[in-house]
Amino acid sequence: MERTLEEDAVAAEAALVARIGTGDRQALRELYGRYAPPLFSLAVRLVGDGGEAEELLQDAFVKIWRHAGRYDPRKSRPFTWAVTILRRGCIDALRRRRRHPAAAAWPEEEPAAPTADAAEAAAAGEDHDRLRRALASLPADARRALELALFSGLTQTEIAARLRQPLGTVKSWIRRGLLGLRTTLTDPTA
Amino acid sequence: MNPNREESACQYVLDQLEPAERAAFERQLLADPALAVLVHDLESALARGVGALPRRTPPAGLLDRIEGRLGTARPPGALGRVIARWGIAAAILLAVGLAGVWKGRGPAATGPYVLFAGLDPRQSTLARVPVAEAAPGPDARFVQLASLAQAYWDRPGEQPVKEGGAPGQGYAVFDPGTNQGFIAVRRIGAAPEGKRYHLWVIDTVSGRAREAGALPAAGDGGGLFFFSVAPNPGAKAEQLNFSVTAEDAAAVALAAPKGRVVLGATIF
Repeated sequence: MERTLEEDAVAAEAALVARIGTGDRQALRELYGRYAPPLFSLAVRLVGDGGEAEELLQDAFVKIWRHAGRYDPRKSRPFTWAVTILRRGCIDALRRRRRHPAAAAWPEEEPAAPTADAAEAAAAGEDHDRLRRALASLPADARRALELALFSGLTQTEIAARLRQPLGTVKSWIRRGLLGLRTTLTDPTA
Repeated sequence: MNPNREESACQYVLDQLEPAERAAFERQLLADPALAVLVHDLESALARGVGALPRRTPPAGLLDRIEGRLGTARPPGALGRVIARWGIAAAILLAVGLAGVWKGRGPAATGPYVLFAGLDPRQSTLARVPVAEAAPGPDARFVQLASLAQAYWDRPGEQPVKEGGAPGQGYAVFDPGTNQGFIAVRRIGAAPEGKRYHLWVIDTVSGRAREAGALPAAGDGGGLFFFSVAPNPGAKAEQLNFSVTAEDAAAVALAAPKGRVVLGATIF
């Protein structure tokens, strides 16, 4: 079986989580270096406020430290596991304050922030372009349902109420949205 | 694939399942490789979607603040750390494959190697396993070890020394360079009431034992577990050995084994 760079990264990140589970602080620092920027970006997207996003990112990494020993690589990739921890914290915070998420959608044209590394900047730009194409290829209903599922913190039942659609229809839209995204984002020829 | 299973997979990845539904889905996930591949792909798409958000850089000093909140405690549990359960590390293997990880059986004359210890209730038997190359860095070493430990679990016939025939058999794979390894335990049985199983890495010359942690208390104690120990610069790899002992569950910090050996080398 041939390994890809992405698979190498997943395995390395699983190794970091395993080491964190044994109390290895250096591993936590390394995982922070990899995950903090995308997680912080997601937190800002969800709660809007940079200060609150900082607090929520801190909380997420403390939970990662505490729960790493129970992480099971058979059930999820390390990044998905970390995203779930962060999102739950953000959603709890929003609900406590009875607030709505800052922006329950992917940005249309907003470019990634500049980075000192040209290769990284190019890769980020390419990812953004690919995501934009992927989103554009989705039916509008599927895109909206997927964005609400990811960014709003609403349950599927709440999304159905928001969109005034039957729950089954919303579930189907979310499925079509994520599967469509998978097809476009994971196919190198797309 | 059945649209209902696809729907559940999407909801799982987006964390939209209720706790009971999530637990049921995870049971399916562990038993169905095709479902695991779909979830893997969906997670990849989700990661790319999150990665394409406008990048915000966390403020400098945030990591220091996080570390400040951790204190000096090790992560899990008040009773000392628990060795990380890796079950059967299928996710690692999906990513890694097995080719080229190790050279095969037999003693290593020179070059990089890891230790293999066949464990039974009365003794352990050590062997060196030459590895194809010294993996750069602890992460790569971890992957190498996970692959090797998994392969020996799946194909016991390829182990360099045989596990004991009696119940309670197992093995350890250990990298003396990074002081991390995996222990596989089969049919050890639940720990007696008030006891927990602890793993030790022993320097047979000095008698010093380094605690690697406690096996998770739930279940029958079987499975494949990752562990690491503090460095012991004075110990040579060829004088190391491994033991699992039953210790008082209430013990907080164990400096040395006191309980009965249930697997591996006798401690003296």
